[in-house]
Amino acid sequence: MKIVVCIKQVPATTDAKIDPETKRIIREGVKAELNPFDTYAVEEAVKLRNRFGGEVITLSMGPPSAVNSLRETVSVGADKAFLLSDRALGGSDTWATSYALAKAIDKIDDVDLVICGKQAVDGDTAQVGPGIAAHLNWMQATYVNAVDQVTSDDVIVERMHEDGYDICELKLPAVITVVKGINIPRVPTLKGRLASEKEVIPTWSAADIGADPEKIGLMASPTRVVKTNPTPPRQSSTIKISGSAEKCAKDLFRELRLRSIL
Amino acid sequence: MIALTESNKKEYKNVWVVAEQLSGVIQQVTMELIGAARPLADDRGSEVWVFAAGPDMKGQAEDLFSYGADKVIVVEDKSLLNFNDELEANILGRLIEKYKPEVVICGATTRGRALIPRVAVTKVCGLTADCTELTIDPENGDLLQTRPAFGGNIMATIRSSNHRPQMATVRPRVMKVPEPDTSRTGEIINELIEPSDTVGVKKILEVFHSEENTVNLADAQIIISGGRGMKGPKGFDLLKKLAAKVEGAVGASRAAVDAGWIAYNHQVGQTGQTVQTKVYMACGISGQIQHLVGMQSSDLIIAIDKEPDTPLMQMADIAVVGDLFEILPKLLEEIPKL
Amino acid sequence: MEHHIQNKIYHVEILPPKQAITIEKLHDGLKRFADKYNRVMEDGRCACITDNAMGLLAFQGAEVIEELKLKVNPEQVMIHLNTFHTKENLDEILDSCINLGIKYLLVISGDGSDRLPKLQPSDINAKGVEAVTSVELTDYILREYPGKFVIGVAFNPYEPEEHEFEKLDRKIAAGATFIITQPIIEQNEVVDKLLEDYSSMPVIVEAWMSKKLSLLSDAVGYEIPEDTVFDPIETLGKLHQMYPKCGVYLSLLGFKYQINKIGGLWK
Repeated sequence: MKIVVCIKQVPATTDAKIDPETKRIIREGVKAELNPFDTYAVEEAVKLRNRFGGEVITLSMGPPSAVNSLRETVSVGADKAFLLSDRALGGSDTWATSYALAKAIDKIDDVDLVICGKQAVDGDTAQVGPGIAAHLNWMQATYVNAVDQVTSDDVIVERMHEDGYDICELKLPAVITVVKGINIPRVPTLKGRLASEKEVIPTWSAADIGADPEKIGLMASPTRVVKTNPTPPRQSSTIKISGSAEKCAKDLFRELRLRSIL
Repeated sequence: MIALTESNKKEYKNVWVVAEQLSGVIQQVTMELIGAARPLADDRGSEVWVFAAGPDMKGQAEDLFSYGADKVIVVEDKSLLNFNDELEANILGRLIEKYKPEVVICGATTRGRALIPRVAVTKVCGLTADCTELTIDPENGDLLQTRPAFGGNIMATIRSSNHRPQMATVRPRVMKVPEPDTSRTGEIINELIEPSDTVGVKKILEVFHSEENTVNLADAQIIISGGRGMKGPKGFDLLKKLAAKVEGAVGASRAAVDAGWIAYNHQVGQTGQTVQTKVYMACGISGQIQHLVGMQSSDLIIAIDKEPDTPLMQMADIAVVGDLFEILPKLLEEIPKL
Repeated sequence: MEHHIQNKIYHVEILPPKQAITIEKLHDGLKRFADKYNRVMEDGRCACITDNAMGLLAFQGAEVIEELKLKVNPEQVMIHLNTFHTKENLDEILDSCINLGIKYLLVISGDGSDRLPKLQPSDINAKGVEAVTSVELTDYILREYPGKFVIGVAFNPYEPEEHEFEKLDRKIAAGATFIITQPIIEQNEVVDKLLEDYSSMPVIVEAWMSKKLSLLSDAVGYEIPEDTVFDPIETLGKLHQMYPKCGVYLSLLGFKYQINKIGGLWK
């Protein structure tokens, strides 16, 4: 089976600091890391390949630095990796991003299954996975909790809902997005990491994937951010309660009553 | 990109709400969205239509009128009982083509988040997820979609100027359910599934309804959440008692879940659930960023901790310094005094 | 472990290179690790290698030693091992240790993160527990690899006393044979009680060798005022006087200057 995993490199924040005036998180941390949800996608692909044979190819659309995250996927078992990076792709919204990734998947050719993580922790839209399925006109299943069976023609998966779960059969090729809990991702070994250093990860441009220039980048994106405002600060002063346990409980109870919560 | 001209855009009218149904029952988020759609339609001088796909939708359509819908497109069929992405996307896409709504909004539920992105791509539409506010731009009639970004630090306003319909998803309980007006009436439009809708549709083999599997923190008004400070599963028994008393849900930090004190489906945070609840009470949670981004949009944040200066205590609206194992039981005692 | 204490052999903590760094920084980090490790060996001390300290993904001690072909003297190497591993990975680490001749393990529950897997009770046949702690992990290692390892466990004098001693009893029942404490900067009643009640157990106290007080405050669980004048070397000297019967674990030791100043402190 040929499996493509779409991954994203996202900002990694470390220490939490609160702005005392706005009560908002002060975002330091310019480090980047592999989107945590994508590690489950990579692991599932590697497991499926180990079980059924085939190839795991990871793909990421991003700035040149995203190659580090791709290399990380190689260090845990991906066979090949490709970086889709081009100024022309910059500013893409989810429509344009899923279009570009779909074109890259086309270029890879003969793909049986595309696996994505549930969502990226920076954008949080969860739109790219289904978007890729729509561009390719393939079947999709989101919130997949388990891949039960794979044959040459189809894949049977369990997917989660708010009120339970169901079991679906999708004809290949198909796209699935997976949730945390589907597996336990392996962590790169030093050997794997050092070996992945030798991996050649080609960079594809928009032209390489045959992308229609009218469908990529900022100008082509149907959605546009027109402005950003800092979120209004939380109420300025924190009500502090301390003292004996009894006093704390009484004071807290009173506050909750005042706000008609209890 | 196939951008629409001004005259093309004029062909698109009305605000659609995609109904959320579970086991054939239309869910509250649908009413919330009708409430959000009403002022948009009024601003545009147009109507609110609901797209209701499922078994037995007609009977529930009357209710929808009382919340503010003008028309309900009913696609009634047994095959629509269990959510099937491709089938519903095909039907909705076809009807969008037929009726040309200007705006389509949908609940940001597991179903909504699977369905709408697929339709948005096929119909070449802009889609904004998890909007907290929807308004009409008085200058040009565009839908202004506001959502939190950067873990809630920034509110981004987004528009899809050149594509129709404009699409957005909204989480349950963000918008208010409007007061029903039973004197309101409307029109039901019956549509049928067409053969082309069923092409490329997956098979649903089995469906399991499970109370246990899913802890719906998204619906809870009050979340009592525990972290490392709970010191073990017994600590969570205390939180469960309190949550039961206030009809709330129990949440947890990743540390508590990792330690095996409570199951993953209670986890609040970046790789758990993001909540926007009325009251978030954090007990013994210091507040790593990954946790804070999952709950900082809650209306009222209370933190109880031994340490006065943890990130969560700083962010909290009410910070209680003390031993939660002594304070919480006493708080429990206070409550029956109502 | 007694012989380390009797012979006044310091346990020196070394952190392996983190995973989330560029390949250049990784090679640099591996070289610095080798330099530190070899220095500890030359000085006749014991290198203690951490396991994803603070939940930050790093490479494992055993795999780094193996890759760099560093020499292992069984009495001079200890590795930390926590519960945030898959079973496969855990067994790989233990097998590597056996092949390399590493026998001292400090088994701790550890800190998790979004990226770290967690051992499940079913993975290691732990019965009647909801989650795997250092107790179950210790039991597993000694059960599956009998006679191969000498296991130490952590003791935190800053946690509620009764609970901590009860945990310690379970750790010892599982087979732990030595104890390492959290950083100690002054006479500590709970440690005194530990020494009294567990007099047959080798106890190693941790000495905080960095001037960074905020991290120390986190470790000890109470706020140490920022303007406190804290001299790690002086504190270390006092620690030896307060706890002459204990071994000492040096965390965050500076390898440029500090390491040259500690000789002769332990009399």
